[in-house]
Amino acid sequence: MSESSGPESRPGLHVEEIVEAEQVVGERAPEEVALGEKERAGARGRRALTTAAWTAPGAVWLLFFLFAPVLMIVLVSFWTRTVSGFEAVWTLQNYEFLFDSNIYWDQLWNSFWHSLVIVVLALVLGFPVAYFLAISVTSLRYQIALFIIALAPFWTSYLIRAVAWIPMMGRQGALNTALQEVGLIGQPLDILLFSDFAVTVAMLQLYILFMIAPIFFMLAQIDRSSLEAARDLGANAFKTFREVVLPQSMPGIVIGSIFVFILTMGEFATVRIIGGGTVSSVGTIVQTQVASVQFPQAAASAVFLVLAMVLGVFVLLRFSNLREDL
Amino acid sequence: MPDEQTLTQREGASTAPSQAASGTGLELKSLTKRFGEDVAAVDDINLHIAHGEYVVLLGPSGCGKTTTLRMIGGHEEPTNGDIVLDGESLLGLSPDRRPTTTVFQHFALFPHRTVRENVEFGPKMRGISKAERREKAITALDMVGLSALADRKPSALSGGQQQRVALARVLVMEPKALLLDEPLGDLDRLLRLRMRVELRALQRQLGLMFIHVTHDQEEALSVGDRIVVMHEGRIEQVADPFTISNLPENVQVAAFMGDNNIFEGTVTAHEGERVSIDGGEAELRVLAPESDAAVGQPAAVSVRASAVQVGEQAAGANGPNQLLGEIEVVEYLGDLVKLHLSAGGRRLVAKVPGDRYPQFRGKEGSSVRLSWKEEDVRVLRA
Amino acid sequence: MRRGRWTKRILAVYFVLFLLFLYGPMIVMAALSFQGPQGAVTFPMRGLGFHWWNELVNGSRADTIRETAIRSLELSVVSGLVVAVLAFSLSMGYRRRFRLDGVLFYLIMLALMTPGILLSLGTSFFWRFMETETSLWQTALGTNVVWGLPFAFLIMVAVWNRYDSGVEEASRDLGAGGFRTFREVTLPLVWTGVLGAFLFGFTLAWNEYDRTALLAAGDNTLPLEIFALTVGSVIRPDLYALGTATTAVSLIGVGLFLFVAAIVLRRRARSVEPREEYGELGTDGTGVPAGAPASRSR
Repeated sequence: MSESSGPESRPGLHVEEIVEAEQVVGERAPEEVALGEKERAGARGRRALTTAAWTAPGAVWLLFFLFAPVLMIVLVSFWTRTVSGFEAVWTLQNYEFLFDSNIYWDQLWNSFWHSLVIVVLALVLGFPVAYFLAISVTSLRYQIALFIIALAPFWTSYLIRAVAWIPMMGRQGALNTALQEVGLIGQPLDILLFSDFAVTVAMLQLYILFMIAPIFFMLAQIDRSSLEAARDLGANAFKTFREVVLPQSMPGIVIGSIFVFILTMGEFATVRIIGGGTVSSVGTIVQTQVASVQFPQAAASAVFLVLAMVLGVFVLLRFSNLREDL
Repeated sequence: MPDEQTLTQREGASTAPSQAASGTGLELKSLTKRFGEDVAAVDDINLHIAHGEYVVLLGPSGCGKTTTLRMIGGHEEPTNGDIVLDGESLLGLSPDRRPTTTVFQHFALFPHRTVRENVEFGPKMRGISKAERREKAITALDMVGLSALADRKPSALSGGQQQRVALARVLVMEPKALLLDEPLGDLDRLLRLRMRVELRALQRQLGLMFIHVTHDQEEALSVGDRIVVMHEGRIEQVADPFTISNLPENVQVAAFMGDNNIFEGTVTAHEGERVSIDGGEAELRVLAPESDAAVGQPAAVSVRASAVQVGEQAAGANGPNQLLGEIEVVEYLGDLVKLHLSAGGRRLVAKVPGDRYPQFRGKEGSSVRLSWKEEDVRVLRA
Repeated sequence: MRRGRWTKRILAVYFVLFLLFLYGPMIVMAALSFQGPQGAVTFPMRGLGFHWWNELVNGSRADTIRETAIRSLELSVVSGLVVAVLAFSLSMGYRRRFRLDGVLFYLIMLALMTPGILLSLGTSFFWRFMETETSLWQTALGTNVVWGLPFAFLIMVAVWNRYDSGVEEASRDLGAGGFRTFREVTLPLVWTGVLGAFLFGFTLAWNEYDRTALLAAGDNTLPLEIFALTVGSVIRPDLYALGTATTAVSLIGVGLFLFVAAIVLRRRARSVEPREEYGELGTDGTGVPAGAPASRSR
């Protein structure tokens, strides 16, 4: 019987016996177990072929309808405009035009800021919803039910939801009418529609779910008893949140932010409907250029979006937590 | 070390005088917890635990032992009653303000922090300086033999190692009372057997109050100074392991502790100090001087499996405290042989020394004579 | 503990407000669709009735709307089917590790993050470059599937996570060959996931605008038509009726799926889950110990 280093009187477990028992039992860490299972089922000769067969259809589809289009955009941005569209003659004039254009940079800058604001708002307003659903609600049944209810609008046409803001926000809309009835304002507020504010609110409503879902997903994985353990060890409610909840929700926050940022940058339908032409985004810029058959130009404008996307994926790569799903 | 108590403690009875008077230790007073209108998970519990005692709350799932523990730790608020530690009530205090710390069943380690950071968490919350916390953490990790793994994350540790981290995390807090919620439940059996011995040794070395919740009665017997058997929210019996084992008070305790043959029937005669009971397949005669049982009253008794003597069937079975039974399964367990028998439809268990195994090997199906002494029959409260 | 209860209450109120924020516009729109003939685009409500619903079905724009709706329906159904098949086969591949699993995974996630306009723009460029005339079926179908695929894929991955491959081993052990096992054991256990994948593909395509927008070339889908009606012409309450109707279709689709899933899950839970109760006092008097639970490896 041996003890850890120190005089006989020092308290401690008899480590050697414990380790011996662990070895007999064959204890392994969960990571090793998961890895081992996958390796056992791993690709070996014939198996590799089956896997290829299974994944091929999806992979090919994505290459063709996702990778190729994006690649195409980058290519066209370096090609020349023709009356009917474009021809494969290499040129940098599209980019020159872009860099010269103050309007473009202004709009780009606006779009960038706008999206950033929406991301921050989505985070601040959406986090409590995710927290409520994942942690406050204890019954699994209610959790699922409420989550579905909160997410149901995702499956409805976002176009419709955008259109529906008009009767809400217009001069004679529901909100203005209500505020006037209650007496909060004397005159209808004009900024509620066809303004930056209106677009922000509408986009928030449409995309906040992309922030809530990843955060909810991460929060739901937090072991409740570890929250109790934190309290037990002396952390008050606030410290528990800061030290245990927040760090574990971070991957969700990052993913959600990336989603919301990229998607809102590329938005154009909502901007058109709610902004009514007074507001623009990269999306509307592109669309306008397409409408006037300036394809290479449109491609160059769109490239910025592509860059944002690539950057986003790169950041996502850092958070390999997502792979743990698999 | 607390005295062997041959007196059993019933709920509501006053505690041993020496402990109550000093005002130290943990006192549960009329502790009750209700979820909703009618269900009382914990029903009017009274208990005193002294510092340095290893107390086990034992019972089947749903008996209220975990709820009681959580109330002591502050993770549940009682509906009624009080929890007093060293003269001060803990009611209303959130867990972070109580001098108790809990070891959770599934360890509840922080997955996003390393082992070292997990152990440093408590001191960090107390505002202890970085250097000092580091030192404390190292000491605690040394105690559990995990210093080498200090920079790993919990998911890279095996179950047993995770449990040791949970222990270190708790020990570094130097609490007044250490609460353990089924601490060995997630471990493999061999490891459980090893760790319960370690827990016992650790408690002795540290001299801390340990309150350990489990449903494994063997574990309870192994580690506890005193065992509190609970059932449906109430305390059935509080006593040292020896008493609980040999002198169960009622049917619940006798049945839960296992290896007891319980007979329920009616009193047929009461002559002087002896009471005769018709227990169905057997007639039992018990030596019970204090009993005031009247003829016709229902009664329950139990006979320990190890008190059952097994002999040849040929000797016949007439008279009290004996019956014939058929061997169903012979279990050889090394030091002893467990015989699972049936007599007229009811099941019985007998334990005989291991060296008698050759006598019973292959004898499933044959009849034997079972008998026991009247001193070994224990009267159970209803 | 009291403080915890207050937090929960405040958050619950916030959640309700949030739901109002989400559903408010749709409710307002639905309300406005039930106006009488005097009805206008915004409040106050003028009259009450089914006038605009009637207008939707029988009015001047009814024919185009019907045509686009049918086109949308066809496209969405096919989208859903393709998504289901692709998601299923992709997830089958992911039951094991393989060499490019990381790269492929990020490609799938990229599908989630790519703004629709890039897809429709790029695809239109591609076919223009190939100098081929295209129909919706070559273009919009492709991009719509790309949108629905990652969601469906994640669902299937979750289904496989809960799935115990042991049943397949058991099935082989009992004599069933590869294909038989697949048909009799695997498929019945995962079909709800496949159904979910289909519904995702369907509803996402049904509502999709961005990814179809620059590809339609005159053959509008419903969302495109709605956009045109909103921005291009005068908005009338029959548009609201249309909006309400399409929303209803989406919600019904989701509701159906949940209904089916709930039934299947409940049936399965009752028959398969082992009883967790241990340590019951029903030791029938023989003294068999109310023993410890079987060890669980974490």
